[in-house]
Amino acid sequence: MNAFDRAFRGSRGDWRLHGLSVFSVAVAFVCLAATLLVVVNVNAVRGAWARTGRASVYLDPAVTEPQVAAIDRALRATEGVTSVRFVSSEDARRELGASGDALVAALPAEAFPASLEVSLADDAAAARLARMASQLAALPAVTGVETYQAWSERLGALLDRGYAAAALLALIVLAAVVSVVSSTMRLVLARRRIEIEVLKLVGATDAYVRRPFVLEGAGQGALGALAAVALVGLLYAIVRSSLDGQLGLLLGTPLTFLPWTIAAALVALGAAIGAGAAHLSLRRLLGS
Amino acid sequence: MEAGASRRAFRPVLRGGSRFDRDAANRPILVFEDVHKAFRLDAPVLRGLSLEIERGEFVFITGPSGSGKSTLLRLLYAAETVDSGRILFLGREIGRLRADAVPFLRRNVGIVFQDFKLVHNWTVAENVAVPLEVLGLPARLVRKRIAEVLDRVGLGGRGDEVAGHLSGGEQQRVAIARAIVGEPALVLADEPTGNLDPQLAVDILGLFEDIHETGVTVLFATHDRSLLDIRPRRVVVLDDGRAIDARAGLDDLTADASPALEVA
Ligand SMILES: Nc1ncnc2c1ncn2[C@@H]1O[C@H](COP(=O)(O)OP(=O)(O)OP(=O)(O)O)[C@@H](O)[C@H]1O
Ligand SMILES: [Mg+2]
Repeated sequence: MNAFDRAFRGSRGDWRLHGLSVFSVAVAFVCLAATLLVVVNVNAVRGAWARTGRASVYLDPAVTEPQVAAIDRALRATEGVTSVRFVSSEDARRELGASGDALVAALPAEAFPASLEVSLADDAAAARLARMASQLAALPAVTGVETYQAWSERLGALLDRGYAAAALLALIVLAAVVSVVSSTMRLVLARRRIEIEVLKLVGATDAYVRRPFVLEGAGQGALGALAAVALVGLLYAIVRSSLDGQLGLLLGTPLTFLPWTIAAALVALGAAIGAGAAHLSLRRLLGS
Repeated sequence: MEAGASRRAFRPVLRGGSRFDRDAANRPILVFEDVHKAFRLDAPVLRGLSLEIERGEFVFITGPSGSGKSTLLRLLYAAETVDSGRILFLGREIGRLRADAVPFLRRNVGIVFQDFKLVHNWTVAENVAVPLEVLGLPARLVRKRIAEVLDRVGLGGRGDEVAGHLSGGEQQRVAIARAIVGEPALVLADEPTGNLDPQLAVDILGLFEDIHETGVTVLFATHDRSLLDIRPRRVVVLDDGRAIDARAGLDDLTADASPALEVA
């Protein structure tokens, strides 16, 4: 009978205890998995926005056609710029107030400056444009340049906070899993005191005694993490189907689930922490 | 594996890979030399105990409650360590074994307790299999050996029953089967009949006699005087922390006085 068989026999005998442990580990991992899911999607949104970058060059109301044409040419000549579109003051008002909103109609013409809407190929183009922005702004015909860099930065800051939150949660999850698995192991070891005593009396090495318990701990951690990933996956599927793609349209990128590497890493993390916790609790008992 | 050797051709291996010591076959299997052991300074349990036990002997260890019978046996399987003096098992000093050598010592010793120490929710066969599984024997061989040993203890064909459901006498037979399945050189029994009624006690003693017949050295600790008189066996009384040979066994009657005979 190898260590796996012995671990299986043990957890079958104490299935209630093991079930409770798996459940508690799962609860801890749900928080971590959900946070990671948010981080992954915010990251995707930022990536999408960076890829389909755009900028607006606002023009003076008194701008002349040749001036516009000159700026247009300069922009098109910039590397990474994919298209430039002229939006007149009237167009801008129309785009915003398409429904004939009285409030929009009442706004003065200055609220809707004419602009050149620039589409950018990538992040690098945005950076180049940002450098150009000061030169452009110096032209008398240009009143301001909006590169939306601030938005990207704000998302980046949000992401950084998300990473920090995920790291903190990972620590909390680690502590929770260690304490859950250790206390389960203490109970399991108390219930199987005779088994351990007998093993030691017939000449089992500490490693032999320890092996199935470490496997059981690893199993609890892995199963808990797996259950958490499955639960978060289920919630994700529900949210996605009920929003019916609207959220994706809004964000400019479809929602994604955790990539399988992260899901597998979570399960591996659960197994490793569970095994470590079981090892530690046995160390105390075996005194070695 | 050491336990795989045949019963009589026992190899005194305390550690994997150590050499076979031919002289050991001619020396006493157990030697106690001036052993002292105290749990509390004011109440020493063993005070200069000396004793020799020959290979293949059957020895009763007796004495009043608290005289140190269990302690003596626990020293033998390294559950306790001596304060001073030496205990030699097959020529090796038990007190000097490193912690990682202790399991190999225990594979040469079968132990039976008053409270059986069975895993109740396991089957009889699972309980008996433990010493063989520790050795890593293949499952087929383990099954064969279990069937044989259960026959020997009178539990043939009952391997699939749950150990906790058996009667006390049957549970003790399972524990004995577990102690001998690895074919140890030495079997220690600490009050194995203490929880059983008198007739069952005699039956269990008979089982140990049978085991002894196969060449195994048996140390049988008991304070049940009625058991001592069933067969003329060597009796060692623990008194005041020393061992007194109260009666030589049949085998020893022809030999010179036992070296351990020192009436206080
Ligand atoms: N681990 C221990 N810690 C402290 N004292 C102990 C320990 N083990 C045994 N003793 C003491 O050592 C003495 C001998 O105990 P031991 O169990 O060897 O006696 P015994 O002869 O087996 O008695 P009994 O016939 O009642 O089983 C007792 O006074 C006991 O209280
Ligand atoms: Mg005792």
